[in-house]
Amino acid sequence: MLSLRRKKTDAAVSQEPPWHPNFRNFERLPDTKVVRTAFFINVGAIALTVMVALWFAFQEYQLRDLRLQIDAWQQEIDRNKPPSTRAVAQFRKFQEEASRIQEINTFVTARPAVSDLLVQLGQTLPANIAIDGLELRDTGLRLIASVRGAPELASGHASTYLAQLRANARLAEWFEQIELQSINRNQQTGRLVVEYLLKTKKEKGAKK
Amino acid sequence: MMSNEELFAFVKKNRLAVACGVLSVGLALAAYYRGDGLAENQAVLDQKAVEGRRLALNLKNAAQLDEQLAAVSAAAAEIKPRLVRVDELANNLQYFYKLEAETGTRLSQLQQTANAASVARWTKTNPKAAFVPIGFSLSVEGEYPALLDFLRRLENGTHYARAVAASVNILKPDRSGPYVLQLNVELLGTP
Repeated sequence: MLSLRRKKTDAAVSQEPPWHPNFRNFERLPDTKVVRTAFFINVGAIALTVMVALWFAFQEYQLRDLRLQIDAWQQEIDRNKPPSTRAVAQFRKFQEEASRIQEINTFVTARPAVSDLLVQLGQTLPANIAIDGLELRDTGLRLIASVRGAPELASGHASTYLAQLRANARLAEWFEQIELQSINRNQQTGRLVVEYLLKTKKEKGAKK
Repeated sequence: MMSNEELFAFVKKNRLAVACGVLSVGLALAAYYRGDGLAENQAVLDQKAVEGRRLALNLKNAAQLDEQLAAVSAAAAEIKPRLVRVDELANNLQYFYKLEAETGTRLSQLQQTANAASVARWTKTNPKAAFVPIGFSLSVEGEYPALLDFLRRLENGTHYARAVAASVNILKPDRSGPYVLQLNVELLGTP
């Protein structure tokens, strides 16, 4: 058997007027939530303020630290500046004097000492060779010598002396290429006259 | 739009939050404006540090500068009396005649090849040079040891000297001497 009482639909319920008037003023009623909204707002505001304050404080700390470092450097600069200025002036004077001395050294050492060359050649001269003359120029040293002995042996002595000149370490300081320029027989003495050319090293030959 | 009363009520109701908000904005503004000072101060610090290190390095490098300068100055003081002057012809030639007398050689030819004009030209082409080479041409005759002595005294003597060109020849074919030394030599001088 069907019930005479029919169920009300939701639409019917919402269209139904309340059974009594609602006199509640929601705006004036207290917040009945477990944790009030104001608490969250306040906590958020305080957290934000603290973060901004920390940021500001850290920046101020950095500024103060920079100023302290600047002051420390400034004190060091103030302390070191007068002696440094004096040292710079002294160094300029030192450079000036040193350049004069260097100029003299360059002047003196730019060319070989002729006396040293003569001594070096004299000390290393073989017994069967005699120097007739020498000529020193920018380009090199021309050495003219007579060789004692029969021509077939004398030419060998001349070659040996050439090898000896080339092996001479002192001469190698100044001359880079040593050549036998000519071999001629002296008709009066019958001896061979040889001419050596010692070419000056390029870096030494330039006049300074 | 909120009226003044509503705004006042809102502030009154959320006093703490509003105060925090105002304070945060104030601090943020202050941090923003003072933030420029950070970069400026860093730049100043870098500049001061560079200058400070440079000065400290100067002092470190100058630790023995006094002694070195004294030594160089003393050496430089010895230079002046050893220089010749192009216009002092008699004094310059006298130097060679003294060498001749001391070594027992004979000067068969001696002349100063430099003059004021050539020195002026040289100075013009070498403006940075403090000294000028004064040229001489000479021929010396003598026995080999005497000529060697002459050369040694000239090259290591009072004046700074260097041979630009030289030739040594024997006068007699039987090598009985004497020898003749022809020299183009330069003495260091002042313009």
